[in-house]
Amino acid sequence: MNRRLAPWLAGAIALAVLPALAPNSFFLHVAILILMWTLLGAAWNVLGGFAGQVSFGHAALFGIGAYVTMILYLKAGLAPWWGIPVGGLAAALVSLPIGLVCFRLRGPYFSLATLAVAEIVKLVALNWETVTNGPVGFLITGLPPVSLFGASVDWESKLPFYAVAALLALAGLASTAWLRSSRLGAYLVAIRENEDAAEAVGIDTVRAKVLTLALSAFLAGMGGGFYAFYFRYIDPDAVLNISLSMEMVFIAMVGGLGTVGGPLVGAIFLTVVGESVRERFQVGHLIFYGLFMMLAIRYMPEGIWGRAQRLASRFLPKVPGHGAA
Amino acid sequence: MALLEVEGLTRFFGGLRAVGDLSFSVGEGEILGLIGPNGAGKTTVFNLMTGFVQPSAGRIRLDGKSVVGLRPHAVARRGIARTFQIVKPFPGLTVKENVTLAAFLRQPARRDAETAALEILSRVGLAHRAGELAIQLTLMDQKRLELAKALATGPRLLLLDEPMGGLNPSEVDVASRLVEEIRRGGVTVILVEHVMRAIMRISDRVLVVNQGEKIAEGLPAQVVQEPAVLAAYFGKRGA
Repeated sequence: MNRRLAPWLAGAIALAVLPALAPNSFFLHVAILILMWTLLGAAWNVLGGFAGQVSFGHAALFGIGAYVTMILYLKAGLAPWWGIPVGGLAAALVSLPIGLVCFRLRGPYFSLATLAVAEIVKLVALNWETVTNGPVGFLITGLPPVSLFGASVDWESKLPFYAVAALLALAGLASTAWLRSSRLGAYLVAIRENEDAAEAVGIDTVRAKVLTLALSAFLAGMGGGFYAFYFRYIDPDAVLNISLSMEMVFIAMVGGLGTVGGPLVGAIFLTVVGESVRERFQVGHLIFYGLFMMLAIRYMPEGIWGRAQRLASRFLPKVPGHGAA
Repeated sequence: MALLEVEGLTRFFGGLRAVGDLSFSVGEGEILGLIGPNGAGKTTVFNLMTGFVQPSAGRIRLDGKSVVGLRPHAVARRGIARTFQIVKPFPGLTVKENVTLAAFLRQPARRDAETAALEILSRVGLAHRAGELAIQLTLMDQKRLELAKALATGPRLLLLDEPMGGLNPSEVDVASRLVEEIRRGGVTVILVEHVMRAIMRISDRVLVVNQGEKIAEGLPAQVVQEPAVLAAYFGKRGA
């Protein structure tokens, strides 16, 4: 029990003291991005890493979360901290029919279907101007005054966003950890290993995949809601871009498919690579993502976290009742 | 009443009739051998009975209740389990994990499922391999694992698709004894097999199909004498 909780406690403490150590607000900005990407990588990982269902359309779920959070705030005055989970729920709801249709397909056909769905959602956002403002998008000019423990929250500092991002990232990682120890998680691994064999031993593969997609969509939608809340501006190009889908794939794969810690490692890697080359290239960072992804697939298919775990298990005694992964 | 009743089972693949108007029944506790030349439709019959392929026509009833139209996992829940001719383990998982996944169907709690899995592994003689990855097993042990997974779903009817294919004669004897033990445990068995030694020894009754149709049914020793069966296997001249 202690060994299982210890890393979570250490992580929570590290997250709590990090802002105090931050030399400047750019550092905190990078930390916020890493936490947001951790959540998104975890979202993709529950479906792609555990169930082996490779989605190229998670941008759609992210975008739906972003739009719902934004529209609820601007048109109904719903504060973003309510809007973010509602955005997640909206994405989960939309994912249900998508799952029921796309999961009739397997392997590469499923992946292509998700790509198509993402394009459809983007076209809808571009053209349904009465709801989405079309290509113009939405802008938040100010956030509502709010006080916490008597002190009013300063939205101009990065600290409140950091706190929200940290909570969301922890939620993403905790759901992955829960999934790994749950029966549903075991079913997903069975589906990844052999879908026919999974059905043959009585696993309702469609139900397991649809439930997991809904969880994945909920997390990705909350990520989108957070994006809207933090950057205060969304349009179809920003929140429904295919590159978002690819970045989620990148994080999960480079970090370590089907692992709990992988998305965090992948997010750190992606953000550091992205931010360090963004200065010099407009979209050139995408080339570097591609390069690193190829290198990872070729030389480290289990990802950075997966490899680190394997190396560590050689030196550390195995925790009983706690398999690899 | 028979445990399983199949009536007029038919399946077309395009213009090809893989199974045609096949009817048979299996009594509780029986071992039925299902034989026929390659391509006779035996595996298709299994796929039809377990929901992997839907029939074009016909009825399949377990205990009087139709299982037609159910997806494979629902058929498994009703109590029909199968093995695959080409074994389908969860390759990257351990032997114990493989069987535990199947045991979840009757024991939702992980601890119970693991206990049941270990018990079944020792029944099929695989307990000493419990911690190994499924992909590392020998063929014989992969066949045992396939059987263990099917048993772990707690079936009333077990469909075995060539469980002895590729095994050497002494392994065939071990496998035959295993099937007989499973039947003694109260499970009804339908066995597709080319190894005639095993079929003759353990089947109570044999059903012979050719080109998707039943050509003979009866006691093992009688069926192999029938001209239609000899013709199907050796050509008309031999009969």
